[in-house]
Amino acid sequence: MRFFRQVAVVAFKDLRAELRTKEAINASLAFSIVILLLFSFAFDPSEDTMREISGGLLWIVFAFAGTLMLNRSFARELPNDCLDALIAAPLPASALFLGKCLANYALVLAVELVSLPVFGIFYNVHWARQFPELLLVLLLGTWALTIIGTIFSALTVNIKLREVMLPMLTYPILIPALMSAMQLTTALVSGTPIGADNVDSLKMLIGFDIVFTAVSLVLVETVLVG
Amino acid sequence: MSAVAVEGVWKFYGDYPALRDIRLDAAPGSCLALIGRNGAGKTTLLRIVAGFSRAQRGKIEIHGNDPRDTETRRQLGFLGHGIAVYDELSALENLILYGKLYGLPDPRKSALEWLERTGLERVRNGLVREFSRGMRQRLAVARAFLHEPGVLLLDEPFTALDDRAIAVLQRLLREALAAGKTIVMSTHQLREALELATHVALLSRGQLAFHGQCTPEMAADPGYIYARYGEA
Amino acid sequence: MRDALFSFFGSGAPVAMAAAVVALVASVVFLRTRNFLYDALALAATKTGFALLAAALAAGVLRSRTAAGVWWVWDTRLTAALVCGLIYAAYLMLRRAIEEPTERATSAAVVSVLAFLDAPLAAIAIAWWRARRTLPPEGGPPPGWGTLASGNALAMLLAGAALTVILLRREERRRAQDAERRAALTL
Repeated sequence: MRFFRQVAVVAFKDLRAELRTKEAINASLAFSIVILLLFSFAFDPSEDTMREISGGLLWIVFAFAGTLMLNRSFARELPNDCLDALIAAPLPASALFLGKCLANYALVLAVELVSLPVFGIFYNVHWARQFPELLLVLLLGTWALTIIGTIFSALTVNIKLREVMLPMLTYPILIPALMSAMQLTTALVSGTPIGADNVDSLKMLIGFDIVFTAVSLVLVETVLVG
Repeated sequence: MSAVAVEGVWKFYGDYPALRDIRLDAAPGSCLALIGRNGAGKTTLLRIVAGFSRAQRGKIEIHGNDPRDTETRRQLGFLGHGIAVYDELSALENLILYGKLYGLPDPRKSALEWLERTGLERVRNGLVREFSRGMRQRLAVARAFLHEPGVLLLDEPFTALDDRAIAVLQRLLREALAAGKTIVMSTHQLREALELATHVALLSRGQLAFHGQCTPEMAADPGYIYARYGEA
Repeated sequence: MRDALFSFFGSGAPVAMAAAVVALVASVVFLRTRNFLYDALALAATKTGFALLAAALAAGVLRSRTAAGVWWVWDTRLTAALVCGLIYAAYLMLRRAIEEPTERATSAAVVSVLAFLDAPLAAIAIAWWRARRTLPPEGGPPPGWGTLASGNALAMLLAGAALTVILLRREERRRAQDAERRAALTL
């Protein structure tokens, strides 16, 4: 289908451009490692405490490092007025948006998958006990971060204070998803599989993803064209 | 049917009207030069025609269709102030990208063809960030023409070009006109523009002060239009 | 006396929710019609809701200080009010960051829609979070709350409506002035 082919063209363009310069991904990775390092200087927790705070710490790191990447998403189209050319091209704004989301998703996931082992090493935590379920939470939570970050990246692209406004908008809106992801991650890192007591967090994550993906796809044309 | 029809377009910034009741059209195969002082609304109007922003009142029709329709966008080529190519990609990669976005049957072939027509075939694998300014401008022209659009919209195309790029662009525009394509061009460079223009529209403070054929007097003395129809 | 004051400002929270609904409807209507009156209404309603939330938060903080000796309790409604306050603060900050009126109105309307969808999810997430952590039980309403609360709510509603109208008029006037200023600049 043409729509998905166009999504792929946009996604691969973003990935190729980013991997050629590696500016954002290096910054994001460095940022995440530095935060993990700083936290390990700040606290010297026991292994139990560490598992309790693992979800919160990891998702704070992911959210901050991810936002660095997501900020660039539409901002990379500004030099040379490339954004105009993309809006003028015969692809639906939703295809442009989805392509960028997929590229961002891949990049942010890559940073997270590197951060996890670093976390394990710095804090001496075995995080892989429930790995398939942890991966699921990572995939769902990162999608939430990506969708919200990308739509607000589009919205703030022309604003002077973009670097300030993007986090200000993104983090509060992400609260339901982040809380759910944090809670699930803490449980999974501690070795408890997803059960009756936290399956509602999983449902919240899935619901959040579905609702905001749908709404963003509908609204992105308005955001980009007016 | 006009190739480009602007019907009663108003554009407001808040309550302030930047464009007031603009009515003009461009017949297929004509070249309309949109002239006016800075701030008159040329770029605003052109961007509305291209589908980058919406008019609050009135409508635009490109061959009878809305400029935001996907099929109509395939027919439009836009050359703005920015070159709209990616610094991190090569010239060839850029054109192939746009070829794919525009659904061309063989993006690579079209890309190579247009690199040749704009004199860039030898640097096709060079990254755009290493190009000279003239080369970047010629690549921008290649990008705008790549998908053989029926309607070309150019915003002050001659302003930032060097001599070689101007020559390339003028040649391509003449070929496009000969092939029956339509051109709408906003410009300050009256001399270059009026050589090609078949029609002229003068915008003054958001309103249309004149719209008609380009006469020999106008082509000979660009200041003539301003003196006769607009503020000096 | 103190309790009465707390409950008066505290009852602003449901009215803030009503303001949020007004803001949402105004934003959606604006996106449909591009009539700036609705943008002004969305702004006025959001500012009103934000002011009411701020008052409710202040009341909550003072009440927890006097009743429980701490400045903040992770009470569901208080926390939810804080989160919603942050979301609407972001809306207001965004408006200040965009210079051009049409872009400002459109972007703000989109944020308003996203914010409205998010607020209930945030409230639910906070409620679950509370239930998971063993936090002290929520301070319930004092006796005789029912009639006091409904009277307060009505008063708050009227105050809120009045504030909205005042802010609406102010925004309309500001927009007219902005248009004059732009006209003057292009001479």
